[in-house]
Amino acid sequence: MSTVVSLDRISKAYEQKIAVKDLSLQIDEGSMFGLLGPNGSGKTSTIRMMIGITMPDSGAVSLFGKPFTRDSLKQVGYLPEERGLYKKMKVMDQLVFMGELRGLDPAVAGKRAHDWCERMQILEAIGKKTEELSKGMQQKIQFIATLLHDPELVIMDEPFSGLDPVNATLLQDTLIELRKAGKAILFSTHRMDQVEKLCDAICLIDRGHAVLQGGMREVKSRYERNHVVMNFEGDASFLQHPAIARYKNYAGQAEIELKPGANAQDLLREAIGKATITKFELMEPSLEEIFIRTVGEKVDA
Amino acid sequence: MRNILLIAKREYLEQVRGKAFKVTTILIPVIFAVVIAISVLAGKYSGSGKHLVVAANNVTLAEDVRAQLLNDKVADLKVDVIAPTADSDRQELVDEVSQKQIDGFLWLTQDAIGRTAAVYAGRSSGDFSTASRLDDAVDRAIVEQQLTLHRVTADDAANFTKGIKIKTRQVRDGKEVDSSTFGTFIAAYVMAFLLTFTVMMYGMNVGRSVIQEKTSRIFEVMLATVEPKEMLAGKLIGIGAVGLTQLAIWALAAAIFFSSALAATLMTDDFKVQISVPQIALFAVYFLLGYALYSTLFAGLAATCESEQELQQYAPLAAVPVWLSFSMITFIMSNPNSFWSVAVSLFPPCAPIAMFLRIASQFPPIWQIVLSLVLLLISVYFVIWFSSRIYRIGILMYGKRATLPEILRWLRYS
Repeated sequence: MSTVVSLDRISKAYEQKIAVKDLSLQIDEGSMFGLLGPNGSGKTSTIRMMIGITMPDSGAVSLFGKPFTRDSLKQVGYLPEERGLYKKMKVMDQLVFMGELRGLDPAVAGKRAHDWCERMQILEAIGKKTEELSKGMQQKIQFIATLLHDPELVIMDEPFSGLDPVNATLLQDTLIELRKAGKAILFSTHRMDQVEKLCDAICLIDRGHAVLQGGMREVKSRYERNHVVMNFEGDASFLQHPAIARYKNYAGQAEIELKPGANAQDLLREAIGKATITKFELMEPSLEEIFIRTVGEKVDA
Repeated sequence: MRNILLIAKREYLEQVRGKAFKVTTILIPVIFAVVIAISVLAGKYSGSGKHLVVAANNVTLAEDVRAQLLNDKVADLKVDVIAPTADSDRQELVDEVSQKQIDGFLWLTQDAIGRTAAVYAGRSSGDFSTASRLDDAVDRAIVEQQLTLHRVTADDAANFTKGIKIKTRQVRDGKEVDSSTFGTFIAAYVMAFLLTFTVMMYGMNVGRSVIQEKTSRIFEVMLATVEPKEMLAGKLIGIGAVGLTQLAIWALAAAIFFSSALAATLMTDDFKVQISVPQIALFAVYFLLGYALYSTLFAGLAATCESEQELQQYAPLAAVPVWLSFSMITFIMSNPNSFWSVAVSLFPPCAPIAMFLRIASQFPPIWQIVLSLVLLLISVYFVIWFSSRIYRIGILMYGKRATLPEILRWLRYS
């Protein structure tokens, strides 16, 4: 597996504010990478440096195993968080224009645009002006414009924001297919459930620093399985057991957080002695909890 | 280069297909034609068809003045006479004016040794054309009166006072040629107007186009493949080409019009339009340089704004040089080589308009044209330097309009 993106200790400062500090990460081909972090933590700044919109003050960016050149951008598809289309242009003209800018022949661009519109179920919009289309349709066209030149690296900044569930699923499926085809995919999002489901690796940024990164399984295994969800009937006094750090009891369903190093089996034995247990599950922490624990409670994301 | 051309092509097609292009292509010549027609007709017929009263204590003087006034066929005046006058007549005349029975009256009093005092009272205070007609008429009547007193026959007296119309000719290339000052003036006026109009219109157009790309959030999408300078260059070339297309359409339409039969009947000796080849070439050069100056300036300013409304606040930056040039239009036309005319025509923001007015009235020395072009080029270079830096950073800044200190910091960044 070869490395598609490699950032080596890149930094960027604006005025007094440090946007990104000594950040390093690798993205492999055929993998999906989640870039996480609260608002203003430096996600977009990192992405902009990755594709040469801004230059890092220090550190090195490599794409496809070579130091960054604008030439390699022909193999990159980028969907920014602040994205738009030319309002007065017809959908087809727009897609062909974007394709041509990425080095496609107009005829090839036209053919591919047609195929993509069919796949995204928006063929009827092809001759309309952008301003006549619904927001959801415009977003689909933005995705097509990002993917039209069959990029090896797909970068999407908050791709799911503002999408309805149907279109979000459509996009998610498309991303999975792209991964299967060997593309490297990077996306940033606030939606931890999606990251948990889709990503092979993550990097969590806070105030410009990478505070947590690695493969999804590996990151999660760093955290203890110290969460218990149980359903029970009868006496709830076992919840006073010394292994429990905190708990919430919702009339027969308890969510329990264990003390560090505590043994869940002891708790189970105590509980069986006092109540009827219908469910006892020892859970790994969700990515959301990891996120909050790492970044702190102040997250406004 | 490929990217620049693609962007230019997109911009060109979008603008040429747009409604605004079609409307302005048709409407601007129509507005020009109407404005010129109105100003020509108004100049010719202003103060005509008025009803005046000449009141004098001397009967012959009153009749002479009346005869002089009626001589002016264009004025088409209706003139009554009250003579000899009594003091009470004046109040009656005032009443008639205020009741709008007459437009005004001329009150003449001549004393025993022939000194004459004249007062004109009318409803409007600024009726200069009537005042100058009365001036002429009274002068001539008194000269005739004096001549007759000195035993000159009435016919001779009339001949002496007839006046001579001066024919204007121009010295060009060492030869004396017929020139119609009026036609040349109109042609220069139209070309200067057209130049201002198109330079400003297309300069603002670039600014608007930048704002639209910023508000529609297309910039970052584009910047993933093209560089800011390619976007800016493509935009300037595309919109500049739209401007040239429009000028070419107008030039073609004008050429067809002037070769038609209708034009031949309109173009009498008095109203001959002379436009030379160097004039057309310089028009194109001044258009391109003026456009480059204003459009890059507006592109830079637009990148610091958040909406078209905010951009409009910068419009006076373009308007002031235009006002300055146009407020000097008559001065430049009549004193094309004075210090101030030369200074204004060398000052880059005014150069396209002011120099063009000078070219129309009298071809300025070549060194002045070259100097004005060089100064214009230097300022275009500086504006591009300034704007491209602002543009590069401004297009990715969302949220609020940049303040001056912020803009200055952006300049230092790059």
